[in-house]
Amino acid sequence: MSLIDVKNLSKEYRNGEVVTPVLRGLNFAIQKGEFAAIMGPSGSGKSTLMHILGFLDTLSSGQYIFDGRDVSTLSEDELAEMRSCSVGFVFQSFNLLPRTTVLDNAILPLMYTKDKRPEWSAKAKAALESVGLGHRLHHMSDQLSGGEKQRVAIARALINKPELIFADEPTGNLDSKSGLQVMKIFQDLNAQGHTVILVTHEKYTAEHAQRILRLKDGALVGDEKVRDRQLADGNGELRK
Amino acid sequence: MNKTIFQLAITALRRQKTRAILTMVAISIGIAAVVVMSAAGKGLEKMVISELDVFGPNTIEIEVKVPSVKKTSSENAMGLSTGITITTLKDRDIDSVRQHPNIEYANGSVMGQESVSYGGQIKKVVLMGHGWEQALIDDVKFASGRFFTKEEEESLNSVAVLGNAVKQKMFGDDEAIGKTIYVKGKPFKVVGVMAKRGAAFFFDIDNMVTLPTKTMQKKLLGINYVMYIMAKMKDRTQAKQTAVELTEIIRANHGITDPDKDDFAVNTMEEAKAILKTIIGALTLLLIALVCISLVVGGVGIMNIMYVSVAERKFEIGLRKSVGARRQDILWQFLDEAVILTTGGGVLGIVLGALLAFVIYIVAISYGFKWSYILPFSSILLSLGFSAFIGILFGVYPAKKAASLNPIEALRRE
Ligand SMILES: Nc1ncnc2c1ncn2[C@@H]1O[C@H](COP(=O)(O)OP(=O)(O)OP(=O)(O)O)[C@@H](O)[C@H]1O
Ligand SMILES: [Mg+2]
Repeated sequence: MSLIDVKNLSKEYRNGEVVTPVLRGLNFAIQKGEFAAIMGPSGSGKSTLMHILGFLDTLSSGQYIFDGRDVSTLSEDELAEMRSCSVGFVFQSFNLLPRTTVLDNAILPLMYTKDKRPEWSAKAKAALESVGLGHRLHHMSDQLSGGEKQRVAIARALINKPELIFADEPTGNLDSKSGLQVMKIFQDLNAQGHTVILVTHEKYTAEHAQRILRLKDGALVGDEKVRDRQLADGNGELRK
Repeated sequence: MNKTIFQLAITALRRQKTRAILTMVAISIGIAAVVVMSAAGKGLEKMVISELDVFGPNTIEIEVKVPSVKKTSSENAMGLSTGITITTLKDRDIDSVRQHPNIEYANGSVMGQESVSYGGQIKKVVLMGHGWEQALIDDVKFASGRFFTKEEEESLNSVAVLGNAVKQKMFGDDEAIGKTIYVKGKPFKVVGVMAKRGAAFFFDIDNMVTLPTKTMQKKLLGINYVMYIMAKMKDRTQAKQTAVELTEIIRANHGITDPDKDDFAVNTMEEAKAILKTIIGALTLLLIALVCISLVVGGVGIMNIMYVSVAERKFEIGLRKSVGARRQDILWQFLDEAVILTTGGGVLGIVLGALLAFVIYIVAISYGFKWSYILPFSSILLSLGFSAFIGILFGVYPAKKAASLNPIEALRRE
């Protein structure tokens, strides 16, 4: 059974009379443990698709079956439970809480789990260190650079060790070295059995995945295996 | 209440200090206003009631009244001030009252205003004419001398008892007893000076001169009627019955058959107290109504702050939901915030109001009023409840709306 099974998925935005179709009848499946990249031009609907797959937005028609369950039949609380435990989401626009420290931002998802409060800080620290932000714990999120914000967002998404990780342009604001460090994190997680889905417009970054899905104007126009997979190492050095 | 969410609310509030402080101030002002107003109302009530207590619960009063007006003194006074003078309450009525088995003492009183002079000083003062029994009915205390006697009254002696302030003004620290003062040009011998009574609510006894009723009637006013009769009962539990019987007796004296034509009213102190309490209650209610307006204005402020803050925090709500917060987690957080704000503001307001009420109390006392410091629990509770209700409603309702959006909708920045 696939982890993600999408059937004829469509999404449109309605603004009064104006209807904007964004996703048009997508069909694909992603298996447990896969590392997939979604590529496509700007405005092709990549983020929209990720939001729907991450239980953050609803589809307009079609079906999204996650782990054998039709997502549209899940209750509010079940969806919250999924967001809390099953998936981690790195937003394209980071979405950090303003006027809040880096540490508290990373802690946010722990507040809604069974984790005991005393363990929060240590967990968040570990997650932040893994993205190279151990020295910025008590900075306010507003005082960070774009790349640092992105890494806080990644740490927050990873903190619950979710089985499925979504990352929307996670290296978009990073230099190539930091980008590779981030890709190493995702590859390591994938190696540990986590399923990873990331959006990128860089072919090179996409090649860190095992599979590339191509979107254009809301339709799936390509789905291929990566033959020459890039492997990132922890030093940010390239390795084939 | 979930503890972590409670702490979360505190951190959230800390992040929005100005808003939190503004809300608390708005709430505390409203509550302080309620506390002060209701405390002042209670203090006033206590003061008036204690003034009445000076006359003692055993007293019963028969006053003249314009026929077919209600019993309340205000209308009666109005009737009298429009020039109608009731001249029917006379010695015969006083004797009848005195003969009632439940009456211990009774005396008739008249009032007037005359200039009083001593050694070149002239003062316009309120003159009270009392029977000699007044000293037994009202517990008069003396700085020096005594009240006039039955003999002095019956033989129309020209004797006077001075209020403490009158004595101070006319004699200073000199002895007044035995001196002669002139009332309307006629000589009166001072036999007593009353002890200081302090500011009284109805009349300023310290500034009055008391003469025997009969002397005042015959020598100064040239009348043969009294304005009211004051009597002391033996058994005050019989007050109602006594009042009814006295009414019948005086009606018979005056030849009245139709109660609507009564030209007098019999009042017991209990009744007077009840009437005053109603008046003060109405006054307090008016104050409370004023306060409610300010509370509503404050409430609108709270609403506004709460509403705006929730709108501002739609993003936070979306983010929390996107990392797994359930709708009720969001609601609890906002509820906690509202509770913290309203309790904080409420406690602040109660302290502030209690302090202000205390200042009023101190000032009133320093002016000699028999004010009391009472904080009415019920109105404090009411105002607290009201602001909590407003705070919670307008903190939680919009939060509920935002929490029911899907995370992406809530995260979208307008
Ligand atoms: N709320 C909305 N109402 C109407 N149209 C919307 C709304 N949100 C997104 N869209 C449209 O949906 C389309 C897809 O948007 P999406 O953010 O998924 O693109 P994307 O592939 O992630 O682009 P990028 O690479 O620039 O991030 C865009 O054309 C966008 O204008
Ligand atoms: Mg996008």
